[in-house]
Amino acid sequence: MTSAEAMSHRDAVELLPWLVNDSLQPDECGRVMQHAQSCVVCRRELEEMARIRDMIGVAADAVPIPELDMRSINARIDALIEKQTRSRQIANAIREFFGEPWRMAFAVQTIVLLTLGTMVFWPEVEPQGFRTLTTNTEELPSGHFVRVVFDADGPQSDVDRLVRSLGLVVIDGPSEHGVYTLGFANPVTAGDRDTVVERLAGDPIVLFAQPVSVGAIQ
Amino acid sequence: MGRFKTNKPSVGPNAAGEAELVDAVRRRDRQAFARLYGVYYPRLHGYLRRILPNTVIAEEIVDDVMFVVWKDAHKFRGQSAVSSWIFGIAYRKAMTAIRKEKRYHAPLDHSVDADRMPAAAPADVDLIYKGLEQLSSDHRQVVELTYFCGFSYREIAEIARCPVNTVKTRMFHARRRLRYLLPILEGATEDRNHDLG
Repeated sequence: MTSAEAMSHRDAVELLPWLVNDSLQPDECGRVMQHAQSCVVCRRELEEMARIRDMIGVAADAVPIPELDMRSINARIDALIEKQTRSRQIANAIREFFGEPWRMAFAVQTIVLLTLGTMVFWPEVEPQGFRTLTTNTEELPSGHFVRVVFDADGPQSDVDRLVRSLGLVVIDGPSEHGVYTLGFANPVTAGDRDTVVERLAGDPIVLFAQPVSVGAIQ
Repeated sequence: MGRFKTNKPSVGPNAAGEAELVDAVRRRDRQAFARLYGVYYPRLHGYLRRILPNTVIAEEIVDDVMFVVWKDAHKFRGQSAVSSWIFGIAYRKAMTAIRKEKRYHAPLDHSVDADRMPAAAPADVDLIYKGLEQLSSDHRQVVELTYFCGFSYREIAEIARCPVNTVKTRMFHARRRLRYLLPILEGATEDRNHDLG
């Protein structure tokens, strides 16, 4: 194997768990093994992972599996099939009824008249504004922002560290849905903002990251 | 390096057979569905039972998962292995249940969930459960899918609908945490046994 094909230590370490569970592709497996033969750190990691694997193997056998019973799932499927059959029967009945053109015309005319009547005689209902998950964009000043949802199970110190390291500040949140609106401590371009969003998305404690721009800015 | 039994079907004849079963399920073949259910029940039950708070929820979700398999068999186009598709459904339902229950970090409570562990569980079983329960849900899922279910990192990425690098990163953090926790938990167990002895 040439040095160009040799696997880096970092790449090999990352793949060790899947070497242990025997799921690597043959070429990956060969490269990881090749590296491990000359790397004390990786061999130590492999021993540790083999130990965890063996403990997990014992744990897997310790959990009994109850006997298979499909009554509940069969009942659900039967109910679904019945519902789908009824819907098809209704659809067929409607199709049959409206088989004659004059009947279809009559129905359409009735619907149009009812709709017009509703619009004329019922008070106007104010249309609901479009709801987002968090702060209305109109409430934000002009600039670039990022909307982020962090893993609720992760420690807050990791969130704080990540936000600070990327030059971000918390503008709003977390909302009832766990959404933060983050702004930039210093002025940035759209490209910078997108780079930050990419870095956020690659962090394991970030579940969702989306760029937001307010106002005519580039 | 020895192999150990996993719940995962091997790639090859089993995978092709399962794809045929899903095809039959798409045509509303109840017998094919029953066979597919029989194949996946122990795997799904084993996986869900370890990560969810109790048996009742785990069994409900096994049924929910297979109901989706029945209902949405027409949506499976063979773009992934059947196992990845089915476990992907199970993964998302489990994560929803975990977030809803919000008991993920609760310490192991034998009085609440006495059937989770046999009466004379080896010390290692107790230890690994305690270690795994300290991990975040995302990290634990990667460990479970790797070691219990035997999936490759690419399959886990399909199951979890995340990039391959995210799977590797989550495993990296999980390993680091377990490496830190297991000696501490081991020491705590020995101290307790010493006091009792």
